Amino acid sequence: MTSEPQLSCAACAAPLAAGDRFCEQCGARSSDEEPAGPGCQACGAPAEALDDEGYCTICGVRERPASNRVELDLVIAAAVSDQGRVHRRNEDAFALGVAGERSVAVVVCDGISSASAGDSAAQSAAAAARETLATAIDAGRDRRDAIGDAIQAAHEAVERVEWTARADRDMPSCTLVAALWYEGEIAIGWLGDSRAYWVAAGDIRQLTTDDSWAEEQIAEGLLTREQASRDPRFHSITHWVGADAPERPPRVVVIRPDRPGRLVLCTDGLWNYAPSPGELGTLVDALPEQAAPAAVARSLTETALARGGRDNITVAVVDVGVE
Amino acid sequence: MSSFTAEVYQNEYLPLGGAEVNAIVTVTSPGGAARAGPAAGAGAGRPPDAAEIIIIDTSGSMDVPKGKIKAAREATSVAIDCIRDGVAFGVIAGTDVARMVYPDHGGLQLASDVTRNAAKAAVAGLQAGGGTAIGSWLTVARHMLGTRAQDRVCHAILLTDGENQSESAEELDRVLDTCEGHFQCDCRGVGSDWEVSELRRVASKLLGTVDIIADPADMASDFRAMIETAMGKATRSVSLRLWTPQGATVAFVRQVAPTIEDLTERAAAVDARTVEYPTGTWGSESRDYHLCIDAAPREVGDEMLVGRLSLVEGNKVLGQALIKAIWTDDQQLSTRINREVAHYTGQAELADVIQDGLEARKAGDEATATVKLGRAVQLASESGNDGTMKLLQAVVEVDDPATGTVRLKREVADVDEMALDTRSTKTVRTGPGGA
Repeated sequence: MTSEPQLSCAACAAPLAAGDRFCEQCGARSSDEEPAGPGCQACGAPAEALDDEGYCTICGVRERPASNRVELDLVIAAAVSDQGRVHRRNEDAFALGVAGERSVAVVVCDGISSASAGDSAAQSAAAAARETLATAIDAGRDRRDAIGDAIQAAHEAVERVEWTARADRDMPSCTLVAALWYEGEIAIGWLGDSRAYWVAAGDIRQLTTDDSWAEEQIAEGLLTREQASRDPRFHSITHWVGADAPERPPRVVVIRPDRPGRLVLCTDGLWNYAPSPGELGTLVDALPEQAAPAAVARSLTETALARGGRDNITVAVVDVGVE
Repeated sequence: MSSFTAEVYQNEYLPLGGAEVNAIVTVTSPGGAARAGPAAGAGAGRPPDAAEIIIIDTSGSMDVPKGKIKAAREATSVAIDCIRDGVAFGVIAGTDVARMVYPDHGGLQLASDVTRNAAKAAVAGLQAGGGTAIGSWLTVARHMLGTRAQDRVCHAILLTDGENQSESAEELDRVLDTCEGHFQCDCRGVGSDWEVSELRRVASKLLGTVDIIADPADMASDFRAMIETAMGKATRSVSLRLWTPQGATVAFVRQVAPTIEDLTERAAAVDARTVEYPTGTWGSESRDYHLCIDAAPREVGDEMLVGRLSLVEGNKVLGQALIKAIWTDDQQLSTRINREVAHYTGQAELADVIQDGLEARKAGDEATATVKLGRAVQLASESGNDGTMKLLQAVVEVDDPATGTVRLKREVADVDEMALDTRSTKTVRTGPGGA
């Protein structure tokens, strides 16, 4: 009688049959076998162990969504949009255009998750708004008017988004923050809770005020910021882009920077992890002074991911120089 | 046949390092009234083969008062009339031994007008006299039913009025072990001389209900209801099959509606990661289960399937529910307690404090009894469990239901105390809007 070498599982010592790639008892991978393909990232079970929904039939852990990130680097302006670590699709979008050394049009949108086709809404709105802003730069139009037209174009684009009516879903809609910089002045317009910040040496400001339940309560003195942040309605927004949006002209601010700095536009996927301008400023200050916009956008995105990445994260950064 | 539905109510978000996952699963059989919607039509299709046994206590005490044995004879006749044509049936009279009343030889008879009349004639001659040995009655029932539990619905009704005096508790336990899985048994205690915990043990082991019939006059309607429910069974034995991932452990599995029944100890291993809990046969109905599973904690953003609950009849999967966990650093998400989980945690505590309170009262510990029953009043009031509240009010004076301030009543009828004990496990569901 020949005795075969006894194989046993390295993890639980249960006997393994020759050719077992994978312990019947504990599910651990047999050590002499290399993974055949991408299997379970948590316990090493082979790809066959993953069920149709991506759950591992051994350890139960679901496959992480493949990293889903869009980056655009236009040297003086850059943007990153990342799916995050929890959501299974990216419903954020950005659109960015550079028309010379000191002219940039940038738009960031966040598709509303309780609505149908939030991702298409955000993409359509951002693209349409950027298109209108780029035309405005060429025509040298008034910045406030241009922002108003861009938001109108975004509304019209979202109304054209195809969607399937569902009882538990609202019509397609998204937030929007848009900035137009040329000839030394920046106009910023917004609907919803996507934000714009001005980050310069000794001057860090949030340029937008969220169109949100929380901000309205705080503005009316009904709640402190601390109280509002604990309310489940904290994230409810009061204005947005979409066919069912309440009628109200978007809010627009115009700034004329007196020193070089950075304009940062982002969705709540970032600012949830750095809610105050000071916290955001600290993150930017930690980077080298000459860090390019793309490096800043990437770094802020990574910070949000490291802190949980609970939502989609989109960050656009513009290097604003002065004459 | 359409399949079962299983709806899951849970907060799947866990904090970093969190391990305990709680979920309520509402299981509804075809034709059963779903949680939110109106009752659908009765399940279609041919009912499965069935066998029915009625076990009547004919011990000497059934003659005191005189009407009890008469009411039992009448109730049994009513029950026999409700047995569907073609169902195998039999009647057993129980004293310190069990006697086959109908048929008077081994095996069962198929129900027809002829056999039903013959059975009723046999029942009409029943007289009281002798002791009580429930185990011996169940043993005879098991022999009459044979070993066809897998391919037909086997059900028994057991009526008694006294304690199991003619045999030891160990003997009864041993018999219950041999009967488990062979048939289901609904138990009824008539009057106030029987032991609630004893009958609860029988019913629980044999996947049946237990209740008190305080007034013998109510026996007939109760028997009719039990037989009609048994005749309405549309499935053979159904089990909950629970898969959990490597590294996870099942803390408990309990039925929480319509009554509380801990199933944890009934787990039978299927393979290394799968166990089955028997739930008996199902008619058109809906039951809720509370599952508590300890998962191996993961990183923020990880999602895990911590339980796959399947309803199986033999190896046929009738329905399925998934229980999940997602680890998050968002406290707003992880600290939220699911409404259904909170509700049924309260209902389980309610059953516990009633049983503890009554025990303390019996032992003469009035301080503990007052605290426990006070808490019960508070829980019953909060959850709108009016049935239990009414039973509590027969035992305590309620000063303030909101704070659970009560006084023990001086004079309490035995049947009231036993009704509260017996029905302490009856739960209510959360109101509309709970989904």
